[in-house]
Amino acid sequence: MTELQAGQGAQPLAPPRIDARPQRYRDVLIALVAFVLLALLPFIFGSKQLLDFVIRCAAYGLFATSLNLLVGYTGLISFGHGMFFGLGAYGFGLMMQKAGVAIPVAFVATLAMTFVVAVVIGAICVRLKEIYFAFVTLAFQMLIHSTILSWQSLTGGDQGLRGGIPRPPFLGIDLSNHLHLYIASCALLVIGLFLMRQIAQSPFGYTLRMIRDNATRASFIGIDVWRAKLTIFVLAALFAATGGMIMALFVSGAYPEFAYWTISGEGIFINMLGGVTTFLGPMVGTVLLLILNDTVTRLTEYHGIVLGIVILFFAIGLRKGLMDFVVEWFAQRRGEGRG
Amino acid sequence: MTRTRKPGVSRRSTLALMGAGAVTFAAPWVARAQAKTIKIGMPTILSGRVAQLGTSSRNAVMLEVEKVNAAGGLAGRQIEMVIRDSKGQPQEAARIARELVNTDGCEMLLDGEASSGSFAVHEVARDLGVLCIHTCSEASSLTADPKQHIPNAFRCVRQGIHDSIVGAGYAAGIAKTKGLKKWATCSPDYAYGRDTTGEFVLYLKKFAPDVEIISESWPKLFQPDYTEVVTKILQAKPQALYSCLWGGDLTSYIDQANIYALFTQMEVFAVNMADYTALTVVKNLPKGIHSGDRYIKTFPATPENAAWGDAYKAKYNEYPTNWSWQNATAVMFLNEAVKKANSTDGKKVAEVLTGLTIKCPFGADGTVTMRADDRTLVGYAIGWGTTIPQEPYVPDVKAGDWKTIFELEAEWKKSKGYT
Repeated sequence: MTELQAGQGAQPLAPPRIDARPQRYRDVLIALVAFVLLALLPFIFGSKQLLDFVIRCAAYGLFATSLNLLVGYTGLISFGHGMFFGLGAYGFGLMMQKAGVAIPVAFVATLAMTFVVAVVIGAICVRLKEIYFAFVTLAFQMLIHSTILSWQSLTGGDQGLRGGIPRPPFLGIDLSNHLHLYIASCALLVIGLFLMRQIAQSPFGYTLRMIRDNATRASFIGIDVWRAKLTIFVLAALFAATGGMIMALFVSGAYPEFAYWTISGEGIFINMLGGVTTFLGPMVGTVLLLILNDTVTRLTEYHGIVLGIVILFFAIGLRKGLMDFVVEWFAQRRGEGRG
Repeated sequence: MTRTRKPGVSRRSTLALMGAGAVTFAAPWVARAQAKTIKIGMPTILSGRVAQLGTSSRNAVMLEVEKVNAAGGLAGRQIEMVIRDSKGQPQEAARIARELVNTDGCEMLLDGEASSGSFAVHEVARDLGVLCIHTCSEASSLTADPKQHIPNAFRCVRQGIHDSIVGAGYAAGIAKTKGLKKWATCSPDYAYGRDTTGEFVLYLKKFAPDVEIISESWPKLFQPDYTEVVTKILQAKPQALYSCLWGGDLTSYIDQANIYALFTQMEVFAVNMADYTALTVVKNLPKGIHSGDRYIKTFPATPENAAWGDAYKAKYNEYPTNWSWQNATAVMFLNEAVKKANSTDGKKVAEVLTGLTIKCPFGADGTVTMRADDRTLVGYAIGWGTTIPQEPYVPDVKAGDWKTIFELEAEWKKSKGYT
């Protein structure tokens, strides 16, 4: 090596700074357009079923997308993510029933409670790898589910929170009005997705991808893997809890089934259906699953068989989620076009 | 050859899709405009472990609806039932109930949900103001708790508290005669199991104060193996055992306890035994199990009840269940209320239903009443008897006394802070 070369090599590296702002502006624009479109839907169609559908999409969509932050972006396959959905629903419902506070206060307080629980559970779970992580999260979920069932005086046991969730109006928003609830759910969905998108696209998001691909290498370059995993575990829990709160408002109650493992199973199924490699995969999966569920249960009692066949088709036939398939297909076509 | 058709979705198919979408969402209005029939929606459980709840409810409803339709329908309108499976999930029950009313144009709901699902449908009824009759949920709090009271929701179902009062009275009588002082309990570990057992024990001790509970077992709901529970009870050596296990859990328990000859060593009081679903499934039904009546065509011992049980059996090739008579009664109530109101308007029907007494094959005295103050079913046939291994399975059922039930129920409500 010559001196000159050495001198050049010794020059401080100036990594190209990627300006994330244009991308963020684009995301803001997409979020605004999506919100406006969703908000206009009731005025175009006026179908109450459509409103119910979108509200449920918001609840499950936030839940499934937050699960994808763990599964797709970090490689943490959580089987117990549903506990935060349940915690959100119960926390919010109880706060409204017992404390009688304003809705935004209950919303923030529920998030704070979920934060604390997620930090405690996450601190224990994220140390574990793969199947151990999956099973310990499942164990915590069942613990929370059992607690809800047994703590009858507070939670109403298996009968759930009785008497409906009061929804006093705030800032001119009356969530007992179905249209208001719809708009609020859409807003929460769009804001939630936007925030999760920003997390996924941030340097932290790329750190998560690195941890997913090779956690040892990530720790060797100085990343605190445990802290990063815990952070995303807690953030994902907050979005799942938001989904739970939307569901609690939709059914005007909270039931132990919301914290049961089947909800986590549905989340994983949605991710399989929609695909985990694209950000919107779980959202597409949610819409697909709910359409499938709503139409198939209308047509036949044997919906289990139909849904099972669909899972098999995606798992064995496509071997990926729908969005993964679509994205690959487009990339392939583009490649062919160039060739 | 050159391709002129561009890949992707064409304008024509986009328009076709949009058209199809518009038709889908406009369909409810078209359907409603044509409504000569009256649609009644029914969310219930048609799949999973308790699918029989939904199927036997549906069977009974259809049996009665056919009769009503043959007689001219509800105020001249033929009934069309829209029955959907909620899979036992409350969020699905709520969604389906909303969809039935908002989209399918159902004007009334029969809620064939159990436990949490019924509470979820109750909230839908509160929100939409639609007339709703619960037909499967036995949880007393559904109507006893004043927070639950809404003018458009009724419950046409037996109740845990009624069963406990009658059961405890009957059991106390036997305890005194046979000197049964040491008791054990074995019930499923969820609200119904805990509440019903707690209430039974409370009233048993009230009627027979020297009774003592020496062992309690709380197997999980849908637990497959009861060996541990059976041996625990045998070791405690009680003189009598109370259980409110039900359905498949009860039959598994009996089959497994039979191996240990448990039924020869103590008197067993199983409130949910006398239902054909349990009676006909147990491999060797032990003689002499004490049970509350769930549904049995010989109690009340009237020709009307027997005829109804036989008609059901003839149509569906199986005996009705407890859920069957409750659902049938709900349709009978609706029919009578619409006749009296001379209208199918939900509000008017609800007003008439409140406090309505109708003739019914399942009534203790040939009638049942929708009690006005909590809009719940009273006066139905309720009693206890002992089993034999073949038909009629429970030959001699001792009827409970409704006067005592009312008195103790009122006390119970007060103790719970409901009144």
